[in-house]
Amino acid sequence: MFYHIALEHDVLLHPRYFGPQLLDTVKQKLYREVEGTCTGKYGFVIAVTHIDNIGFGLILPGQGFVVYTVKYKAIVFRPFKGEVLEAVVTQLNKVGMFAEIGPLSCFISHHSIPSELQFCPNTSPPCYKSKEENIAIQPEDTIRLKIVGTRVDASGIFAIGTLMDDYLGLIH
Amino acid sequence: MSKQPLLNILGIMTKLNRLIDISNLPIGVFSIVIYSNRIIFKNNRLLQKTEMSENDSESDLEENPRYHERTLSRSTSRSHSPSGSEAEENNQEEVADEQGPEDENINSEDEYDEDDRPAKKKKKNERFGGFIIDEADVDDEIEEDDDWEDGAGEYGIVANEVDELGPTAREIEGRRRGTNLWDTQNEDEIEEYLRKKYADSSATIKQFGDGGDDMSDEIIQQTLLPGVKDPNLWMVKCRVGDEKNTALLLMRKFFAYQFTDNPLKIKSIVSPESVKGYIYIESYKQTHVKSAIENISSLKMGFWKQLMVPIKEMTDVLKVVKVQTGLRSKQWVRLKKGLYKDDIAQIDYVDLAQNQVHLKLLPRIDYTRPRGALKVSMDLEALKRKKKRRPAAKLFDPEAIRAIGGEVTSDGDFLIFEGNRYSRKGFLYKNFYMNAIITEGVKPTLIEIEIFEDFPEGVDIELTLSNKDNLTNSQTLCSGDNVEVCAGELINLQGKVLSIDGDTVLIMPKHDNLNVPLEFMANELCKFFKQGDHVRVVGGRFEGDTGLIVRVEQNRIVLFSDVTMHELEVLPRDLQLCTDTATGVDSLGQFQWGDLVQLDPQNVGVIVRIEREKMHILNMAGKLVEAKPQSLNKKKEHRNTVGIDGMGNSIQRNEIVKVIDGPHTGLHGEIKHLYRHFAFLYSRLMTDNGGIFVCRLRHIALAGSIKNKLAKSTIQNGFSSPQAVSPRRSDFGQFGTKVSVGIGEETFMGIGGKFGGVRRDIRLIGQTIRITVGPYKGAVGIVKDATECTARVELHSSCQTISVDRRNITIIVQPSNDRRLTSSYSRTPVNALTTPGYREGGKTPVQGLMTPNYEVGNRTPHFGNMTPSHDGSKTPTNAWDPSSGYTPARITYEDLEYPLDSDASYGQSPNTLYSSSVQSYSPYQEISLSGCNSINSFINTPSPIDTDSPRSFYPASSPLVEEYLKDQISKS
Repeated sequence: MFYHIALEHDVLLHPRYFGPQLLDTVKQKLYREVEGTCTGKYGFVIAVTHIDNIGFGLILPGQGFVVYTVKYKAIVFRPFKGEVLEAVVTQLNKVGMFAEIGPLSCFISHHSIPSELQFCPNTSPPCYKSKEENIAIQPEDTIRLKIVGTRVDASGIFAIGTLMDDYLGLIH
Repeated sequence: MSKQPLLNILGIMTKLNRLIDISNLPIGVFSIVIYSNRIIFKNNRLLQKTEMSENDSESDLEENPRYHERTLSRSTSRSHSPSGSEAEENNQEEVADEQGPEDENINSEDEYDEDDRPAKKKKKNERFGGFIIDEADVDDEIEEDDDWEDGAGEYGIVANEVDELGPTAREIEGRRRGTNLWDTQNEDEIEEYLRKKYADSSATIKQFGDGGDDMSDEIIQQTLLPGVKDPNLWMVKCRVGDEKNTALLLMRKFFAYQFTDNPLKIKSIVSPESVKGYIYIESYKQTHVKSAIENISSLKMGFWKQLMVPIKEMTDVLKVVKVQTGLRSKQWVRLKKGLYKDDIAQIDYVDLAQNQVHLKLLPRIDYTRPRGALKVSMDLEALKRKKKRRPAAKLFDPEAIRAIGGEVTSDGDFLIFEGNRYSRKGFLYKNFYMNAIITEGVKPTLIEIEIFEDFPEGVDIELTLSNKDNLTNSQTLCSGDNVEVCAGELINLQGKVLSIDGDTVLIMPKHDNLNVPLEFMANELCKFFKQGDHVRVVGGRFEGDTGLIVRVEQNRIVLFSDVTMHELEVLPRDLQLCTDTATGVDSLGQFQWGDLVQLDPQNVGVIVRIEREKMHILNMAGKLVEAKPQSLNKKKEHRNTVGIDGMGNSIQRNEIVKVIDGPHTGLHGEIKHLYRHFAFLYSRLMTDNGGIFVCRLRHIALAGSIKNKLAKSTIQNGFSSPQAVSPRRSDFGQFGTKVSVGIGEETFMGIGGKFGGVRRDIRLIGQTIRITVGPYKGAVGIVKDATECTARVELHSSCQTISVDRRNITIIVQPSNDRRLTSSYSRTPVNALTTPGYREGGKTPVQGLMTPNYEVGNRTPHFGNMTPSHDGSKTPTNAWDPSSGYTPARITYEDLEYPLDSDASYGQSPNTLYSSSVQSYSPYQEISLSGCNSINSFINTPSPIDTDSPRSFYPASSPLVEEYLKDQISKS
């Protein structure tokens, strides 16, 4: 799910940037340090939309670096258990398939793929297809999946999904 | 008109519901509601007042409540005619009675309210009166029904009593009324009756259902309780163990006598599982019970005395009491009395109904007494004496029995002697009553266990196993675990463990109606997991692994391992919920995940998966082999192993390559290991073997190797393209904060050497030297960087790093061969070249760009440029040292990833700004001018002035640099 939330970040700036462009540099650094990162609580920070406030810079004694506490608003993407999402299949093998939902990679175990879809290793590229061959999931296909579990690491989120529910599966 | 009041009642009911909802009444009000209809109305009326005032509604009720009430009661009673005539009268009387006090009440309220808004209030109060009566009417209905039934009884509609014998009195009543109705009334009336009946019940459901579930439950319970009119329960003594059979017998007797002249007049027989020696018989009279149990042998004891269960305790009879015996098969017990007193025994199985246990124990047979044909009459004295002596306990010996003339017959697996059953092993299997055994605190002695264990039968093996299971089970349960009850009447109940006290576990059930913690024995619980849970394996083969559950089956859970991306199958009891992040097993003894190991003298492999006792190794042929850690040797690798890729480039570890041929064509990967003509690569996109795969060297090509050559040429052309300058390199040590460790400096050296130019003399770096000539003569310092002719020395005495001619220094301390410390500075850049590039490779299409830089780095003689930066990260001296200050400036180079950066924010293209600034400071220019004049280049390194770069955009720092430079020159 996407959220637009207010966040805070401390930007550490080298003294050589002290100059007329100082605040711009702070902003740039904020974008660079924040966008694309992932936290367990808020999920992936997709984009900073608005910088609310750049606090007073605090010079660190002995180093000359300056710390700015920046309050900003960002769009974050936080996957939840039970959420239904659309994903792009990246890889298929006999164990299951990997799909990506933007920055989130998701694994769908073959246990969670309807049994009518069978893995065909001999086709190129390998795919999951039904006996009637009217459905075939290949890499780059878009599927709709439901997240059944997430693993939140310090630096990322990994999800496992399922296709075993109504209206899940390949999207044409 | 007949429907109208009904609807109104319904309407009021719903209004009431809403009221209750809105006003959030305390439960107390409700409990009154439950027990007394009278109070209900009073309470509700008070409530209504608030709502009605805003809800100015319908018509005739308001205008003439009295009339309405009459019509209502009439219509309802009419519907029950013909037998309802009396009832109607009763009803009306009652209504009138009721109205009296209510009216008073209202009036008093009126007076109270009059001060505010007399006229309006009065009108409303009248209406309330109407409502109250409506409600009262409903109330009356119930009574009226009773009346009606009585009436029906009087009319003799009820058939003879024999017909009534059925499951319950209530049912019979219902049926009787039904037939009666259908017989005597026309369709409309029946319809009316049914409508009324169900409308009422739904209304009450609504009323109480909305208020709260517990309450409605309670009400239902109340109505179901037996009353004085219901038959009583009689407790009849019965032969122990025959309770069920007796109940069935009585049932058959009932059927047999059903259509005779004197049928059994009992209503039901109850034989609860947990009640021993009694059965319950339901009937109206004790004589009925007596006649029913006549001539039943198992009930002989109870024939003279039957106890009546008090009405209040009748429900308790059927309460399910948990079986507290806690006897399990394979448990150790001791016998209390008899021949086997104090003997140890093991429970084979428990027969709760018979109150017996089947025990396995050592027989005590008197082998001295002759049997059968050999039997001789003994004098009484001798017999008595004999009896006192207890035969020794030992295993049954058929030979010895035969020797004394006993007869042993065989029954399946058992031997039978004198009616007792002996197993082939010689144990006695016998039934004992439960009161004849001691179950609490029985601890078999070692010798006793040995006897039982010495002769392992299937049972015994199971015993040890199950014991272990119990142990582990109780050990691994911990608070916070999700559990499921797997035994007892609460089976399948889920909950969360709150606390554990020895063997008892307190759990919080996950159930709507259970919100108090419950206690269970640990062995009654089993762990419970859901798909998607993140768990850690705490036992078994995969101990220590973590993963997400992809499938849950009975006694089997499939995990998807975090580290190796494999599926694992484990038992639920080996799992534990795990909140922390993925750790998995990545090392075992000296081996780590991803290590290169020697399988045999010819073959090596990479560890791709570590289990408890074995490792999975990807060998050179790309096959997965399993091996025990003992059979493996860690393969020593040179850090600077160099191979030649398919394009003729030299490649080494940690470089990114592309597979151009073979089975993995198209994949990019990082070289983890090189061995002969094989490379072990790692790619995140590879799912098998944790991302590691093996390729032949000629099937891979250094990523960006083509551009590489291009870059080379551009550089030689005098930096016509600023793009060629590394944007990546600056990635490392942002502001000197990141510390990275990568491959050795020798690597760097080696390649640098290949291209000629200035060589860094690594032998000198890190050494402590003394300056022998010049203004710094005598000063001692550490060499931070060195070429063949110059060394940069960090002085011990002052916070300075100076460049000194190598001829002017002498080494005073040979540092210990600790390369790590010294080399880490020079290592860093190499890592910076590869690692970040790899990580961000997916994001940016600049891999090609990155690699040339690497090359540039290798070939350029501008180590001076690099050096200060390393210093900067290390010594506080250089934190402000302008020379170190420049290095971080390059950071902004990575703006390549931030296309946003470009014009808007900086006002200038960062490319031009920074690239040019770096160029101006960097020795590149010098290189082109002065070539390998290394001394020059080193001294001049930070100087933009010498070159007088027209592209220098960084005026802010130039003065500083100037000063510094002057300083330097003057010093040297």
